[in-house]
Amino acid sequence: MARFTDEELMRKVQEGFIVESEADMTETYKKALIGQLTVQGDTELMSAPAYFMAAKDAPSTNTMVSATAIIQDELGHANIAYRLLEDLGVSRDELLYERPPARFKNPYGFDQPLVNWAELVTANGLYDRAGITLLGDVHRHTSYGPLKRGLVKVGMEENFHLRHGEVWMRRLCEAGGEARDMVQHAVDWMFPMGVEWFGMPDEKKHHNAQLDFKLKGMTNDQLRQTWLKAVVPLCDELAIDVPAHMNPDTEQIELEFEFPVQYDPGAKRWLFDEPITWDQVWDRWRARGPMNEEFVESVRRSRLSVEKMLAA
Amino acid sequence: MGKLQLYEVFARRQRADRFEHIGCVEAPSSDLGRVYAWQTYDEAKWFEMIVAPRDAFHCVNRAEQPFTLHPSEEALT
Ligand SMILES: [Fe+2]
Ligand SMILES: [Fe+2]
Repeated sequence: MARFTDEELMRKVQEGFIVESEADMTETYKKALIGQLTVQGDTELMSAPAYFMAAKDAPSTNTMVSATAIIQDELGHANIAYRLLEDLGVSRDELLYERPPARFKNPYGFDQPLVNWAELVTANGLYDRAGITLLGDVHRHTSYGPLKRGLVKVGMEENFHLRHGEVWMRRLCEAGGEARDMVQHAVDWMFPMGVEWFGMPDEKKHHNAQLDFKLKGMTNDQLRQTWLKAVVPLCDELAIDVPAHMNPDTEQIELEFEFPVQYDPGAKRWLFDEPITWDQVWDRWRARGPMNEEFVESVRRSRLSVEKMLAA
Repeated sequence: MGKLQLYEVFARRQRADRFEHIGCVEAPSSDLGRVYAWQTYDEAKWFEMIVAPRDAFHCVNRAEQPFTLHPSEEALT
């Protein structure tokens, strides 16, 4: 280590230098990268049980196949992030099997139950769009070579997930009636979830090692705006209501609610008349959503029993 | 689950293409390594995919080991 100082490395990566091995890193760089990869791996991993919960509601064998193909992709994506972490000396076993469920770093949205087909495809349309927005930015800008290469596969597959979501949202909306209502209900609670996904607004966040070291290229607000500019027109086109609109003067999407607001996970409902601070958002995230333990448990469950059988 | 080993995965899309390093899997045998590789890296219809244990690769011109991010000890001391 310590081929460079933090300041030297920051300057070099801003000029296009690609980090290929631990010898190129500083401690600060490595720490920021490990943080980023942990969020990435945990998000991919915990999307699998969330999607699986709803995939059981697939309307046919064909749709079941496409839903489980997406779940398989997500596990592959998690594997890529965790493999990169292992190469940085982090133990995957510890990450997967020894952390308390509350320490998983997936977004709050994947701590929520997805209970029907409309929620699954809306998650594909909104959450996988968030994934593409975040990881697409990392892929374009990251200074870490192994991650840039690993994300090629992820990007291709995420686009398939997104297409799956958008095509099915459209199908359900065109069918009208109950099918359309189910999409509207899903969007009602998932849209603000997606807005929150991108984290604290830039004005509240003074310093960001991930930006300094070019582990990503865009700020939280820029990423959120990119997501909004894809999701809001989609919903408009489907005549699905979202509390946001384009301001033609600024060419920015503006939210029609005070952000952030409180969420009632039991009722799956945003309390739009209850604006909160970011400290309170963090408290809610830290308290975890209703499915956190069960989802973590579900990816761990069979390992011990299989190990026992192999040892017998 | 048996001793796990890392297998580097290479593939090429079509005849005449070069092999590309597309990723890596961890498996207790090369047979399972092949299965995991084929199932995990299914993003394309590969013409050919091969796996080889990571420790079969030796760097020719750099101090760092290929694929691994841990610098080899003797090279840095
Ligand atoms: Fe993914
Ligand atoms: Fe996905």
